[in-house]
Amino acid sequence: MFEQQLVNGFTLGLIYALIAVGYTMVYGVIELINFAHGEIYMLGAFLTLSFISTGMPLALAVVLAMLAVAAIGVLLDVIAYRPLREAPRLAALITAIGMSIFLQNLAMIIWGSRPLPFPRQALPAFFNEPAFTFSDVTISWMQVIIYVVALLLMVALNLIITKTRIGTAMRALAQNRTAAALMGINVNRVISFTFAIGSGMGAVAGVMVSMYYNTMYPTMGYLAGVKAFAAAVLGGIGSVPGAMLGGVVLGIAETLGAGYISSPYRDGVAYAVMILVIIFRPSGFLGRSMVEKA
Amino acid sequence: MFGRNVKRMAVFMAALGLALGVSAGSAQAADTIKIAVPSPYTGSAAGFGENVKAGVAMKIDEVNAAGGVNGKKIEAVYLDEQCEPREAATVSSSIVNDPEIVGIVGHLCSSAHLAALPTYVREGIAAISPTATNISISDKNKDEQGKVWSFRNVYRDDFQGKFLADYIDKVMGLKKVAVFYENNDYGIGLKDAFVKEAKKLGLNVVGEEAYKKGDQDFTPQLTKLKGGAPQAMFIAGYYPEGALIADQAKKIGLNVPKFGADGFDNADYIKLGGAAADDTYLTAPFLADTAGPDAKKFIKDFKAKYNREVDWMSANAYDAAGMMVQAIAKVGPDRAKIRAYLAGMNTPEKGYKGVTGVNYFDANGDCQKPAFVKMVKDGKFVPAPKQMN
Repeated sequence: MFEQQLVNGFTLGLIYALIAVGYTMVYGVIELINFAHGEIYMLGAFLTLSFISTGMPLALAVVLAMLAVAAIGVLLDVIAYRPLREAPRLAALITAIGMSIFLQNLAMIIWGSRPLPFPRQALPAFFNEPAFTFSDVTISWMQVIIYVVALLLMVALNLIITKTRIGTAMRALAQNRTAAALMGINVNRVISFTFAIGSGMGAVAGVMVSMYYNTMYPTMGYLAGVKAFAAAVLGGIGSVPGAMLGGVVLGIAETLGAGYISSPYRDGVAYAVMILVIIFRPSGFLGRSMVEKA
Repeated sequence: MFGRNVKRMAVFMAALGLALGVSAGSAQAADTIKIAVPSPYTGSAAGFGENVKAGVAMKIDEVNAAGGVNGKKIEAVYLDEQCEPREAATVSSSIVNDPEIVGIVGHLCSSAHLAALPTYVREGIAAISPTATNISISDKNKDEQGKVWSFRNVYRDDFQGKFLADYIDKVMGLKKVAVFYENNDYGIGLKDAFVKEAKKLGLNVVGEEAYKKGDQDFTPQLTKLKGGAPQAMFIAGYYPEGALIADQAKKIGLNVPKFGADGFDNADYIKLGGAAADDTYLTAPFLADTAGPDAKKFIKDFKAKYNREVDWMSANAYDAAGMMVQAIAKVGPDRAKIRAYLAGMNTPEKGYKGVTGVNYFDANGDCQKPAFVKMVKDGKFVPAPKQMN
């Protein structure tokens, strides 16, 4: 039972990690908590559903949804946040909350407000079969796919941040936006790129969650967003490896808390862990800036 | 400058007051009578709200097509409270402050209904809830003179919970039950009644776990419940989470019959749960297969209008709206008289014969209706092989 809870907690944690990366990257470059990020994750699931219903194969639908959501993320920045770049931070924060409510309700208008099942016929049959069984622990193929996809995306992201020109520009921006602009970095282009990458990853998380649980609904982004935000804070907001670590720690803490302490306080356990860490390490697990840690 | 602004403001306020006064005055002479239908139309419970809206709209359309009530058209005002107590309290003020609204069909969720109830009792407007099953509504729906302001044409949770425990014990003959409940008024009310009856019967409750509306991952709790080796699982909650619970229970190898209450009665339970939804038993206040000829016509018309099978919420909402319209027709658009008329429907003879059977109220505004058991078999709802009435 303990091992099974651990496996399930790890799965949940990787999902949180994928969403948390989007929060933390955007915070790193423009110091904004993008509260609409949970809705970005929700749109990933719903757009995949719409693409599949046109008869597209699953893999193509996911890739297209990822690109579409990346574009939506960039649009979100251009329309809602760019005009407020020099405004007080509170203005951008309130705008982010407004965008979150707007996107949620837009999804309800387009797809209706009922929970929808993920189209199972689009999934290979083996997805829900157990992949490995040790004594009393079962890992399903779906879980294996979540592990592989999440880890691949994270490795890719780390390579982009550390090894490419645009990654270097992102880190420069995180350090000092004015200085970066003076050095000839196209600030808006780098910020757009950050939104695109973070949103694309969030979209993949949304698709995988709706496959894993076989359900999606327009308000699903809220709780996932809050949890992922907690994970980002736990790992140290602004730090990409921190967000990944924070996500996994939070997922496992929550699952074990529900299994061993008290299920009604499940979410409370997750937040209590976060609060405890913040008390003893105010900057989270892995400090603050993308530069030192990348 | 400042002075002129103040003056302008005063003129504006006076004009506004005049406009409001005029509109309030003309309400008496309006040619429509309004019924408020506060329910969740957005948010995670919006699916239920659509069901209630479908039932009410169908009744209102029928009434208006037949010429309305005493020459006036009935209009339903659909107010969204998202199944949130806080929102429901806000909506309740806007309802009582609208003089054109003479009665209420709602709220859908027990917690929302309980939050709005004090306003209705204080301001004196009658509500009929087609769906709110929590027991505490029966104690909180009276004013100082003991007049009941909130009625319902659905049974209470203590009845459902007790009924299911009896069914598991006497009809199914199962002895070890796991209980998994949603952490809100509805889930806790069901669970308490179920566990109380289970103790009385000598059923062995091997575990009680909770979850929250909107949760997606139930494996920690299910893994824990599985440890008690139950023969049946009672899930006290609604279908979106219920379907996920069924699916995840199957995945971890907890293959036991599942039991749910009225919150499971929705075709989407099967859509979302897939094969895992099979072998689920649930109570329903309305079973198409046991319905009379009136109901058969309603079921057919509903399908023609909305292109989906009727669910019990739509059926109950259709009858609740029917009762409200009948009250208006008998006593006119007067809040106090409508309440008195509804309170007078206290025997089967004085009751309202609707598609869900005879609706009448006891001294607490609660209804006396039987429960039916349906089950999911091969991806379809069918009447359970054995009823218990």
